[in-house]
Amino acid sequence: MKRTTALLATLTLLALASPLAAYIGPGAGFAFLSSFLVLFLTFLLALFSFLSWPFRFLWRAARGQRAYKRGAIDRLVILGLDGLEPTLAEKFMAEGKLPNLARLKKDGGYARLKTTTPAISPVAWSSFMTGSEPSKHNIFDFLDRDPRTYLPGLSSARIGKPKRTIGLGRYLVPLSRPEVRGLRRSVPFWKILGEKGVFSTVLRVPITYPPEKFKGHLLSGMCAPDLKGSQGTFAFFTEDADKVRKREGGVAVLVRREGAVIRTAISGPENSMLRKPEEIRLPLVITIDREAGGAWLAIGRSKKFFLKEKTFSPWVPVVFKPGLGLKVRAICRFRIASLEPEFEMYVTPLNIDPEKPALPIAHPFIYSVYLSKLLGRFITLGEANDTWALNEGALDEEAFLELTYANHAEWEAMLGNALAKTPRGMVAIVFETTDSIQHMFFRYLDKAHPALKAAPARKSAAVIEELYKKMDDLVGRVAAGLDGRSALFVMSDHGFKSFRRGVNLNSWLHQNGYLSLLPGKTESGEWFKDVDWTRTKAYGLGLGGLYLNLKGREAQGTVAPGAEAAALKAELGRRLTALKDGPNGPAAIVRVYDRDAVYSGPYKDNAPDLIIGYNEGYRASWDGVTGIVNAAVIEDNTKAWSGDHCIDPALVPGVLFSSLKLKTDKPSIMDIAPTALELFGIDPPAHMDGRSLVDAPARDGAKRRKEA
Amino acid sequence: MHIVNLVVGRAVDLVLWPFRGLSPWFGLVVVSLLTALLMLEVYKLTSNQAAIRRAKDRIKAHLLEMRLYKDNMRVTLGAQAGILKSNLAYMAANLKPLAVMIVPLVLILARLSLWFDRAPLRPGEETLVKVELAASADPLSLDLRLELPPAVEATAPAVRIPDEHEVVWRIRALAEGRGRLLLRAGDRTIEKTVTVGGGPLTSVSALASRGSFVRRILYPGEPPLPGGTPVRTVEVLYPARRLAAFGVGVHWLVAYLVLSIAFGFALKGVFKVEI
Repeated sequence: MKRTTALLATLTLLALASPLAAYIGPGAGFAFLSSFLVLFLTFLLALFSFLSWPFRFLWRAARGQRAYKRGAIDRLVILGLDGLEPTLAEKFMAEGKLPNLARLKKDGGYARLKTTTPAISPVAWSSFMTGSEPSKHNIFDFLDRDPRTYLPGLSSARIGKPKRTIGLGRYLVPLSRPEVRGLRRSVPFWKILGEKGVFSTVLRVPITYPPEKFKGHLLSGMCAPDLKGSQGTFAFFTEDADKVRKREGGVAVLVRREGAVIRTAISGPENSMLRKPEEIRLPLVITIDREAGGAWLAIGRSKKFFLKEKTFSPWVPVVFKPGLGLKVRAICRFRIASLEPEFEMYVTPLNIDPEKPALPIAHPFIYSVYLSKLLGRFITLGEANDTWALNEGALDEEAFLELTYANHAEWEAMLGNALAKTPRGMVAIVFETTDSIQHMFFRYLDKAHPALKAAPARKSAAVIEELYKKMDDLVGRVAAGLDGRSALFVMSDHGFKSFRRGVNLNSWLHQNGYLSLLPGKTESGEWFKDVDWTRTKAYGLGLGGLYLNLKGREAQGTVAPGAEAAALKAELGRRLTALKDGPNGPAAIVRVYDRDAVYSGPYKDNAPDLIIGYNEGYRASWDGVTGIVNAAVIEDNTKAWSGDHCIDPALVPGVLFSSLKLKTDKPSIMDIAPTALELFGIDPPAHMDGRSLVDAPARDGAKRRKEA
Repeated sequence: MHIVNLVVGRAVDLVLWPFRGLSPWFGLVVVSLLTALLMLEVYKLTSNQAAIRRAKDRIKAHLLEMRLYKDNMRVTLGAQAGILKSNLAYMAANLKPLAVMIVPLVLILARLSLWFDRAPLRPGEETLVKVELAASADPLSLDLRLELPPAVEATAPAVRIPDEHEVVWRIRALAEGRGRLLLRAGDRTIEKTVTVGGGPLTSVSALASRGSFVRRILYPGEPPLPGGTPVRTVEVLYPARRLAAFGVGVHWLVAYLVLSIAFGFALKGVFKVEI
């Protein structure tokens, strides 16, 4: 009533205004001019759309893009639930807790999905999109190494500095864009679909950074960096000096309170515009308001905002200024963990602002801008869920779940939008929610897990069950919106098992004479700091790779290629599979894969020489992954990161639920791409290793539709 | 109302006073800049900035949507509907600041019109003095006489127009200066200023009114006419003023609009205002 009265009063006042008052200042003047402009532009665009529609239709027809006519379906929806474990899904289905997945299984098909060797997300999702085994797409782990330096690098992309610069005082002004180069090879199936006229929307599928051109829209997923160029660096501000130590995946900052005010800074990206690059820092002033139960945060010159204790802020834009008037934009979220006795605050990694991206994160470039304008700002970091922050104590479990499900909600909104706007074509999305939560809470399913002895349990197995139920609900909502001409695949790239014990491959290699340290050293720091390469035959790097120190390949190789290398590989394989966890304990490694036996593609030479298939309950240890050599070969994993899948692939298959009947009960993740192509009536290219999982529909469109 | 007019008038006069010897453009630029600053602040305080940002974001999103889904007629049409809907939301979000801003703006514009709308008479120039009477008054029988200051002379006797309820005199400016016309209606006297000559930017009040509240707002140059006479308004028909821009005459309101919008646009980022 009040609103109506106010509206009427306003309208009356406006109606009474004389012509002189028709113009009412820059504010409203702008508003009405803008409105008029928008309406005018809309009219023009609408006119253009209508007039050009017949020509575009004819153009598509002339180019022979009639895939929808040839296809058995109009739309394919692929829901990727990263790491969904088949044994858990089957158990919960049997208990009636996943009705939608159970219905999909009953009405269509279900099978455990063979994963890749190794069973690691970037590898598996690359095989998913290319239909090929890893040596054809060149992704073998999160990390690869430079054989000249033995140092690791991101396996999926290289982000370099601009090639051309010009000096201007203390600045190096870039004359070209920074070099962003994708390292995944082969062709994703949506590119082939696009060439035949089928439109696709691809959301957050791993290893799609940098985004490639194709007919459709893509938002990059896993491996898209943060603004610092890392895979996610959170910040943890604390007054407690004891808590300031090196933190994996983040930085801890000691702060001091003066009265109610804390003056500190957000550390941003390195300023590569300077001749001597240095980190850009953004002043952060925190004014604690105890009575209000929170604090005022002022970042740089931005408007300050109030944040209550134990509450996440919305996405906050932050602007870094490297100089010469340039701006680099990021977004982040804040959470004050405590005001008293010590102030503690967590800040998410600096995500690339989707509205004004500093690096390309979408195809076309405007797609992320569009999503941000339509749905609000969203997380853009590839490894979105901050598992390291929980692992390192910067977030508690409750906060981690809140943040993770908030990210998930953003992706669901994107999916809803994509489904609404893609009545024909392919929609693929990968939710890493399932992977992250299982990594961090799997110990609650495993009463014998060492992490439960190291720290008291605050949650229970219900977290995982709840996760599966939420995913089932999502599947139900998506399935309900599909018509008879749509197909739905729900899949995971691998399963999950408990990660109780870590195996330090490098320590084992050292103790067994395959890896030598510099004279006087008994241990080595990160990234083989104290390794004597001239006396080393093999080294482990990444989550499952073991490399020979090969002559002619590694900078200080000692093993001759050919017979010597083959013999060493056989010896290592034999001895590693004999590695027991204690005299009467189980085998820590059940299988060692020789790359020459499992790969045949053109990038085989980039693969690790051996791939370690850890037993259930084991994985590469935290130290071993980063090239540390120490006395412990097998040790307890006491971190919150308590579930994993980087083990023998045979032990961690994924799942595949299909709305269509499957013609095999042993599908592989490489089969999804050829299946998608065949469903749209396109012959899979010969280089694909996978085979279609559904009976190839006949070529005649009418007959196909009838059958469908 | 008279007090409000007086305060606003003094403020505007104070701002323009230093520019009276210069081209009117100087004064107009300064006034436009100050108006932009004032209105930006008013707009920021009275508008729902979040709603405006949301509506603008939606409009931009739907415009991008038309580009992204150009081959999909259904989505394109939906985007157009979305744009119209968001545009309405945008305009609705502007109603409140518009309603608030209209009050000071009308007062300021009325005051500015004294400076920019009309030019003073030049010596030798002729014009009319028009008196509007109440509907009940008969111009033919009414005892109404006009007394002129020395700088002005009458060039023709009064013309009485019963149908219009008006009495009109033709006058000629003789010398520069500001004087008072005295209108004798029976035993009552009504005063009205008349301005001849002056600097390039000179304030002139064309109309004195006893009339409605709205008229008193729109013509704030002189105190309201006294009651007890049938005279409703006294108007001197000064020539209209045009501002010269690149050889073309521009109405001051257009120039003011363009300038204040330009200043507003340029400064909205500095003041962090979402428009």
